Amino acid sequence: MIRKAVFVLLVAAAMTAPAAADTTAPDPDALLRAAFDNWRADSSQTDMTMTVHRPDWERSMEMKTWTQGDDDALVRFTAPAKDAGNATLKKGDETWVFNPKLNQVIKLPASMLAQSWMGSDFSYNDLSKANDLLTKYTHKLTGSTKDGPHTVYSIDATPKPGAPVVWGKRTVRVRDDGIMLGETYYDQDMKPVRVMTTEKVSTVGGRDYPVVMTMRPENQDGKWTRIETKTATFNGSMPGYLFTLSNLQNPRN
Amino acid sequence: MMDRLRLLLPLAWRNLWRNPRRTIITVLVVSVGLWSILTFSVLLKAWSVSSRDTTLKLMTGEGQIHATGYLDDPTVAHRTAQPGGELESILASPAVTAYTQRLRVAAIVQSEYKTLPMTLVGTDPARERRLSVLPDRVGDGRYLDGPADTGIVLGRNLARRLKTRIGKRVVVMAQDENGKLAERAFQVVGLYAAPQQTEDQFAFTGLKTAQALTGIGTDITEIAFVTPDDRDIADVLARMKASSPGLDIQSWKTLAPLSYAVSTFFNEFILMWLWIMFALMAIGIVNTQLMAVFERIREFGLLQALGMRPRLVLMEVTLESAMLIGVGVGMGIALSVLSVQAFPNGIDLGFLGRGAELVGAGHILYPKVDAGDFVLYSLIVWTLGVVATLWPARRASRVSPVEAMGRF
Repeated sequence: MIRKAVFVLLVAAAMTAPAAADTTAPDPDALLRAAFDNWRADSSQTDMTMTVHRPDWERSMEMKTWTQGDDDALVRFTAPAKDAGNATLKKGDETWVFNPKLNQVIKLPASMLAQSWMGSDFSYNDLSKANDLLTKYTHKLTGSTKDGPHTVYSIDATPKPGAPVVWGKRTVRVRDDGIMLGETYYDQDMKPVRVMTTEKVSTVGGRDYPVVMTMRPENQDGKWTRIETKTATFNGSMPGYLFTLSNLQNPRN
Repeated sequence: MMDRLRLLLPLAWRNLWRNPRRTIITVLVVSVGLWSILTFSVLLKAWSVSSRDTTLKLMTGEGQIHATGYLDDPTVAHRTAQPGGELESILASPAVTAYTQRLRVAAIVQSEYKTLPMTLVGTDPARERRLSVLPDRVGDGRYLDGPADTGIVLGRNLARRLKTRIGKRVVVMAQDENGKLAERAFQVVGLYAAPQQTEDQFAFTGLKTAQALTGIGTDITEIAFVTPDDRDIADVLARMKASSPGLDIQSWKTLAPLSYAVSTFFNEFILMWLWIMFALMAIGIVNTQLMAVFERIREFGLLQALGMRPRLVLMEVTLESAMLIGVGVGMGIALSVLSVQAFPNGIDLGFLGRGAELVGAGHILYPKVDAGDFVLYSLIVWTLGVVATLWPARRASRVSPVEAMGRF
């Protein structure tokens, strides 16, 4: 799920589209879409660490995530003991959370979806509004820079007229091989509200991957959330029981 | 009897002023006590009227019509068709001054910085204006143009909390016809000023826009109406209920229970206050009158020795008290009227700030002298005061002439 959040939010593409690198001015729409399509065809299983940093404290949580296609995601926390067993399931438009201490599955109402997820700087919406960036925005290439052997494209995403999005715009930086390097969310006065940056790209699960990503809210010093992917398997087959309420409450894996 | 009164009245009046200091003290006790009762009643009445008007004129109206179950679960699942048939003819008749159809549903509003719960009200601005003051309270921007307006009017405080402003876009989410989440972007076109609770709760858009968002065609969830002042709302309600047995039709007394509680509470409070003040006054009056009677024992003995019957002595002392308290009551009334008239433009509760909203009152109270209340409370105080002085009067009438004459 977090992988999904990261990817989808950031419009990351796991697979390379090598042709893009050679084109002088690739179509930004196609660039993002190709990146998304590459990623979406996947199923994935990852182990991650999420670090939530605040001015006077910091804590890390270990989690396992499974995703399938565009709609299904499951995140289960494994450490520390305090958080182990907490799980979030997203299926289609609906999101549920499971709390082992309460032994209860709770379906999240819409009002909760913009709330912080597990105390981090991500919201549930970041998970569930996955492909917003593709469907509700128009994309424009604003520039490119060279980064060693790669070209990094900057893309402005502006909301389509009447689209139900609150952002003024989002700017995305994508490497020519479909690696997400950063995304900034702007308010309607075009002031940045929060910034996502990729801090490390390396090979995991057999592909180049943004393994360390940090989300920082603007104007709030000392607050950030970092997600680090440690291991990943892509395109494995997912058992049918995985994305079910029953599996959310009584894990079979 | 008249002869006796003609004899006793001047006697009693002159007796009053034989000891002016005592008389003035008693008069003051009575007048201040009555003044507090009357002034309190005027203020509390002004408060209850203000509280009712503030609530009713914001949104509530004097009565509302919903589908059964809506008040417990305000979603589009409990909606109703536009009024038709007999209900419509009652609404259009002179028994109803104005009415408006609304689509009012629980919703969520989202800005770049915040997501907050609120109530989305789809309305027809032309109709809404006739029973709500909110359309005229739009300080920045504009109110809605018509039922198809796609803008949204937010409360000042809600906009502040969302960190949004006129011209910016917010996203509103609500449950649609099928129970799914419907969402739509709205441009903020106006900000209205009202009590904070209202500002935080209600956001307005065109009725048709809200209907399209929730996918319920031309259905509505609420009709609010006001009735002429001189008619009994119960009568209109009964006729409406008879015409549409399937609908939940309620008056403001059910819909705005706090305002209703305030309006009934003040009557009881005034009665309680009246008894407390009266107990204090009675102690003062009885005490001074008893003192007076003891001081005048020789006088009463003499009167009886001269042939005055004890009954007449009793009458004489009672008359004195009636005059004494009567003067006090008169002064109390005069003081209260003066106090009320000292605020011809109402009492501005602005110094309480938003605290006044907590108790449901508007910012300005308009105290008004109610002749009926004044006469009633004054009569109660006067009668009870006279009854209380029967005790010293009786003591006076029991004086034995021999004992009294030999006393000094």
